[in-house]
Amino acid sequence: MIAFDQVCKRYPSGHEALSELSFELAAGEMAFVTGHSGAGKSTLLKLVALLERPSRGQITVGGQNLNRTQRRGIPGVRRGIGMVFQEHRLLLDRSVFDNVALPLVIAGVARDEIGKRVRAALDKVGLLAREQAQPAVLSTGEQQRIGIARAIVTKPPLLIADEPTGNLDPQLSAEIMALFGQFQQVGTTVLIASHDLALIKRMGKRVLVLDHGKLIDDFRPQASA
Amino acid sequence: MNRRKPQNRLKPVATTSAAAVTPTRANPGLRSWREQHLFSFFSSLGRLAARPWATALTLAVLSVALALPLLFWLLLDNTRGLNSGVEDARAISVFLKPDLKADAVQALAQRLRARADVAAVELKSPEQGLEEFRSQSGFADALKVLHYNPLPAVLIVSPRADTPDTAPALVAELQHEPAVDLVQYDALWRQRLSAILASAQRAAAVLAGLLALAALLVVGNTVRLDIQGRSDEIAVMQLLGANDGFVRRPFLYTGFWYGAFAGVLTLMLVGIVEWILSAPLAQLAASYDHRFGVHGLSLPGMGMVLGASSVLGWLGAWIAASRHIALGQPQ
Repeated sequence: MIAFDQVCKRYPSGHEALSELSFELAAGEMAFVTGHSGAGKSTLLKLVALLERPSRGQITVGGQNLNRTQRRGIPGVRRGIGMVFQEHRLLLDRSVFDNVALPLVIAGVARDEIGKRVRAALDKVGLLAREQAQPAVLSTGEQQRIGIARAIVTKPPLLIADEPTGNLDPQLSAEIMALFGQFQQVGTTVLIASHDLALIKRMGKRVLVLDHGKLIDDFRPQASA
Repeated sequence: MNRRKPQNRLKPVATTSAAAVTPTRANPGLRSWREQHLFSFFSSLGRLAARPWATALTLAVLSVALALPLLFWLLLDNTRGLNSGVEDARAISVFLKPDLKADAVQALAQRLRARADVAAVELKSPEQGLEEFRSQSGFADALKVLHYNPLPAVLIVSPRADTPDTAPALVAELQHEPAVDLVQYDALWRQRLSAILASAQRAAAVLAGLLALAALLVVGNTVRLDIQGRSDEIAVMQLLGANDGFVRRPFLYTGFWYGAFAGVLTLMLVGIVEWILSAPLAQLAASYDHRFGVHGLSLPGMGMVLGASSVLGWLGAWIAASRHIALGQPQ
């Protein structure tokens, strides 16, 4: 699903966020990217979603070479990826329903179809009752779950999350991670950047460890999910 | 477990299944496109209504910028009507020296009639001139005070119609006649008037162009501020895979509404000016025996003003939005 081949990313400031990074993630696989802050976790996810272009190297996502994707093709690539952010990035002037419906509206799904799918997504994250609420009145954990509902409402083949549990307490974090585990079980490829090592170990999934932009470890902890 | 690679990952997996569930729908893409446009059409209107003062101020600036060249153009259009009324005034009025004897006048008239470039010569004796002046000018009472006739004899010389270029030469020759006091060639001042009107029209076009540019910038800048206020929303939409058209659309409709409302306001402004001027202009026209009419903006003209202002608004928004959208994406 994702393949990095000798990827370097140097920002205009001269900072090299990623160097000679190569790895592959199979379709339906779930993996964590970890490392200290500034190790290049966010940059890796940004390259996958075409928020940044690599300075060198090849990136393939879902069989498509991102280096050859023109500017016009970027929205299409992003519509195939569900994205979850640390600071949820919900639109605070719209209801929960409208926030979750936004990717469907963008994808051009007809209105009567949108209602069904939004409710299905909200049901999955356990917040069906809050569809008419404003995001600002929800708790941080609920906001994050709305963000996840928005990411999965189009049923994308790939889900990426940047520190999705960064603002949550351990119990909420475990719940959110379990949710991601469920999406993997229905066939979605999941890639999560996180520095919560204890939680990652408990999940028992593949872990990519970055240090100063280099891949220093790629292992699968022996633990119960 | 589904480990198959999707064939076309640009399309969300569920879209195909949704289409399969409801095969009766003719073209869901077209329908949602229409729905999105309708939504943007009304939601942009709602956004304008949500801050009435800012909107009113923008509209006022726009409508003044549009009304000025329009009023100027109307003024010119009316004077053009005046000009065409004197189109046929090709005659040359030759004022003879006041002390010239009647038979000398007759002789000169005969000599001019014989010329090849002269079609006709009409002789107006001082008596005839006085009579005409008395009946037309309204100075009859004042003329009574005069105990002699101050008017000279006048020859109205009509140049041949098929030789329009010879008229200035004829005028020059007439001026050198010893018996001639003054030559007045109506076509000459008509030419001058045409030249003045042409310059004014050019000036109006330039002014209209500049003010249209101002309108474009006002809309562009207003939309730019609007975009800045909603930059988070735009960023999120771009993250979720919205293409440029989708992000731009609500702002284009905002620009369209600015333009359309400014057009209506402009027409109202022009209407008010027309109404204020209508009474004095009607009096003026009456004093000229209604030889010219004063007209306002025609119905197609109004339609054109509305159309042009809407297009200007749309264009201004397009420029502002496209610039911002291009900044937010990697190349």
